[in-house]
Amino acid sequence: MTHSPAPSKLAESALSFVVRDTDQRESMIGDLREEYARYARRAGHERAARWHFRQSFSIAVRYGFTRLFRRKPPVRWITTASMEPAGPWWTGLTRDVLYARRAIVQRPLLSFTVVVTLALALAANSTTFSLMDALVLRPYRFAGVERLMVATTVAPNDAFFDRINVTAADFREWREQSMTIKDWAMYQWWDANLSGVDVPEQVPGFFVSPGFFELLGSTPIIGRGFTESEAQRGQHHRVVLGHGLWTRRFASDPNIIGKSVRLDGEPYEVVGIAPPGFTTPDGAELWAPIALTDQQWADRRNENFGVLGRLADGATVEQARAELTTIVDTQRREHPDSNVRRFARVMSFTGGMADPGAGAFIGIWQGAALLLLLIACANIANLLMARGAERSSEYALRLALGASRARIFTQTLIEGLLLSLVALVVSVPLLAIGLGLSRASIPASVLRFIPGWSFIRIDVTLLLATALLGTVAMMVFSLLPAIQAVRAQVSDTLRQSGRSLTPGRNRQWLRSMLAATQIALALALLFASTMSLDAADRTVNGVLGFDKRNVLVAQLNLPERNYGDAETRRRFITDVMDAMRGIPAVTDIGATSMIPNAFNNTSRRFFPEGQDLKEHEARFAQYRSADSAYFAAMKIPLIRGRQFDDSDRVDGVQVAIVSRSLANYYWSDSDPIGKRFKLAIDGPWITVVGVSGDVVHNWFVRQFETVYRPLTQTAPYSVAFAVRTVGDPNAVAGDLRRAVSKVDADQPIASLAAMETLVDERAAGFAFIARALGVVGAIALVLSIMGIYSLMAFLTAQRTQEIGVRMALGAGRWQVVRAITSRAIVITAIGAAIGSALALGLGRVMESLLFGLVNINLFQLASLVAALAAVALVAAYLPARRAAQVDPMTALRES
Amino acid sequence: MPPIYLGEFEYAVLLAVLHLDEGAYAVPVRELIEQRTSRPVARGALYTGLDRLEAKGCLKSRMGDPSDERGGKARRYYTVTAAGMKAIRATHGAFASLTKGLESILERP
Repeated sequence: MTHSPAPSKLAESALSFVVRDTDQRESMIGDLREEYARYARRAGHERAARWHFRQSFSIAVRYGFTRLFRRKPPVRWITTASMEPAGPWWTGLTRDVLYARRAIVQRPLLSFTVVVTLALALAANSTTFSLMDALVLRPYRFAGVERLMVATTVAPNDAFFDRINVTAADFREWREQSMTIKDWAMYQWWDANLSGVDVPEQVPGFFVSPGFFELLGSTPIIGRGFTESEAQRGQHHRVVLGHGLWTRRFASDPNIIGKSVRLDGEPYEVVGIAPPGFTTPDGAELWAPIALTDQQWADRRNENFGVLGRLADGATVEQARAELTTIVDTQRREHPDSNVRRFARVMSFTGGMADPGAGAFIGIWQGAALLLLLIACANIANLLMARGAERSSEYALRLALGASRARIFTQTLIEGLLLSLVALVVSVPLLAIGLGLSRASIPASVLRFIPGWSFIRIDVTLLLATALLGTVAMMVFSLLPAIQAVRAQVSDTLRQSGRSLTPGRNRQWLRSMLAATQIALALALLFASTMSLDAADRTVNGVLGFDKRNVLVAQLNLPERNYGDAETRRRFITDVMDAMRGIPAVTDIGATSMIPNAFNNTSRRFFPEGQDLKEHEARFAQYRSADSAYFAAMKIPLIRGRQFDDSDRVDGVQVAIVSRSLANYYWSDSDPIGKRFKLAIDGPWITVVGVSGDVVHNWFVRQFETVYRPLTQTAPYSVAFAVRTVGDPNAVAGDLRRAVSKVDADQPIASLAAMETLVDERAAGFAFIARALGVVGAIALVLSIMGIYSLMAFLTAQRTQEIGVRMALGAGRWQVVRAITSRAIVITAIGAAIGSALALGLGRVMESLLFGLVNINLFQLASLVAALAAVALVAAYLPARRAAQVDPMTALRES
Repeated sequence: MPPIYLGEFEYAVLLAVLHLDEGAYAVPVRELIEQRTSRPVARGALYTGLDRLEAKGCLKSRMGDPSDERGGKARRYYTVTAAGMKAIRATHGAFASLTKGLESILERP
């Protein structure tokens, strides 16, 4: 220290850090150096240096503290004189708004671009938000829904089901013992056959316990719900009709209460009409009381019932969960034979009713929309920064004339706010279009099963959410230009403004980063949307394992009352098929218990011979009944062994055809034909006689392992006829309807449609989201191309003079173009690199969400990168070429 | 017309700047106040005070030329503005009118 004549650099930097005003900084440091020099002469350098160090820091602390916390001068009690007029606070604001308005109107093209960009992004976001809100977050909107719980059981490590219905005996104990859940209701699926009308119809219905409507906060608009006495056998033939059914089939007859309708062939007295839109649970259209016998109430085997409960006053979800866990744990100990694998699961009503997969898809989409908003923000920030640079001399002049930086900062923010307000207004009609398209793109037959669909509309929440997004976006995109405007140095800018130089390195770097970010995000989005389009395409057009063309499918459910005997069911099936065989257009007609892409699914535990599996160790396999003609009609190939034939009798050897996947899984190294298995631990042995090709049953249950049993040995209540035709399958729809009605006039057909339609409808929701993602991706692409084009055009314009000099000095056109596009190449390369990483990450997520329906396709990624890069380079080349065509003299004279 | 309020320290700073006339920058201002009031003045407090007075419109400043003595850094010279003068006079008047009649007590040695 003794030899150091200079004051401490560290102390001076600390001071510089605190004092932002450059003049003030210079004078302070100067003052300290001056005093240091004096002190050093008197007391030596070492002490002076220590003094300087101490002083600098104490000034830094004191000054910094004051600047931070005491922005306004303290008020003292002696009133002395007055300052210049200031007026009320909003005087300046009005001026700012007017000024901002002028700034916007003066640059119509730029403002238009900004507004349209933001409006598009906002509309995409709020459309998604509306769907998310209506379908996932709040599909049920009745009073008290937040205190309503779904109680289920769940088996540990169950790969297929995350919730299992409840047995009657278990439910009764829950209801008796629980203190935290006050009101309970249970319900059971019922495909009701409505007959006694001109065309019989299968209606989705539910048996529900009394109090069901009250629990769900719903009061029938006409009539009433069910009373306790109606849950007794003998008095239970009452029904509440859904509003839609009442309108459709009973012409909204107001005097229907007390009249009788035939359901499953039995008379039910109508006691009420549900309010419009009430279709809980699962698109129900009619409800009847559950009336169980004592024996049924004691049942602990059949997990038939969905259970709902309302939290008691003051109880929390956690308490209910803990209590139910205790109850279920006790049940598991007391009834080890039946309850060994039952654990409690308590969910919110919305969560419990939701399809476990749907949220994830809409989540992807929402994520994509947010990315799009980010891209839009980056784009707009870029545009505004370009304008900011263009206006820097204006800012400098205003600063020099005495405007405060806060003023200019505020003003830039106000400009952003105004632009986003306009964008907000423009986005509302776009939003309406988006919602309309969303509504139109899903077939009505699917809509019935989507609760909350009717809530997709423009409402206050949605507008608020959009406004919030708009404001956030405004903050993001106008903050950068505002900071840039404020940080500009007056003297520098004024000095520069005469001759245009290439803009400061710092600013270029920021804008290039923005452009690179845009490219990266757009690439990721595009990749995700191609992946989901791929997946959607594969569900519709991919390998299904059967031929969906020219097949008509009729699905129906035989009621137990008329068809309790297996032989009557078999006779019904054969009679219908015989009636159809005479029609020339029909080449094959087969029957199965469940057609691919049906809404239901059946599976059984599979116990192969030779492996001593316990009940819960056995894997599930898909279970179907079918006849040999079914395989022919659907063109499902038989790979080994033989088809079912007349020798497979009820009392003969029990046989089955298994799918290739199942055969490979259990008997990969031996011939599956002749192997035996059971479908229940105490069931009969079944012998494999054939191996069929794999079939995609439906793409939510991506399980190929399937057991087919012959119709001659099984007799399902649920039947689907598959009719292969030459030409349009819908042409024989009338014949099929007549054939069914000839065999049983009261038997409705639940669904009659071409196989192709079924496949399309099943994939409709997914295809919809994939298309929407595609749209989002396309917008993102356009925005990012706009981004890089505007950046390059701006940079090139700024370098006009430099280009002139270069060309005057003998540079060729190509050299000029190269000099300018090299920056674009770097930006594109960086953006593409980051974007590829992002895209691969996103691809991983999608792979896991889409159940192996899609794979990351590196070739696809590479071609996207190439396409994006090509477009970006063209966007950069155009302004560069224009610059190179400029006459050097003009370029030099300009600016 | 919002009034300007002067604190005691601010009043002292303004008076010192007046005293120093053309040569008023932070170093002599501080020395003068310390000499005349026999109270230590923290440099940080002085800088914030000067800033504040400038923000209130009582002072204006200009940058001088850099000098070797200061390691190539310029001085910041302060002058009292018209508003500053008004504030000084008003404060002085206020104190004067308050002290009127107390001379016999105040001026006792």
